[in-house]
Amino acid sequence: MMLNLVLIAMILAMLIPMYEAWQDDDIWQKMLAFASFATKTSIMILVVSVFRDDWMIGVVGVIILSVGNAGLMLLAHVIKRMNEV
Amino acid sequence: MIDFFSYICISLGLFFWFWGTFPLLGKRSLLFKLHSLSVADTLGSMSIIIGLLLKIPSRWPLLILALISLAIWNTVLGYVLAYCSSSEGNYER
Repeated sequence: MMLNLVLIAMILAMLIPMYEAWQDDDIWQKMLAFASFATKTSIMILVVSVFRDDWMIGVVGVIILSVGNAGLMLLAHVIKRMNEV
Repeated sequence: MIDFFSYICISLGLFFWFWGTFPLLGKRSLLFKLHSLSVADTLGSMSIIIGLLLKIPSRWPLLILALISLAIWNTVLGYVLAYCSSSEGNYER
């Protein structure tokens, strides 16, 4: 019961950056929304893994948390370079 | 009792999530949104993970790793996004 409420609230919070990324054309605002979206998704994966007591799903969540943001940083630098040229 | 504290932590984290994410929808500058996101979102996520840690202490190596990577990556990502976006145009609005 409590898990369902927590998950529904998390999905609602996740819809906000999704909507922002969809309606905004500025690339940096989109990047910001996607960064927030990635963090929220990995926290959701962790919550589900702890409530289900499933170690494997939790490992996936932590891997996304620890290396997933690196991709976003590289992407930001690539976009900056593309804008300069 | 511990269960109660963990739910308090999780709901506090959810409150922080909504608080930090709602400014994304506004017409404010990018740096304002970045600040609210990087502060409130990181704090909320850390609070949710601490709630989970109280609930299942046997998973602490995994959850502490998640906490540390959250604290480091989100601040670094905030700096990198601010640095990359500030070179072209100004966002004062």
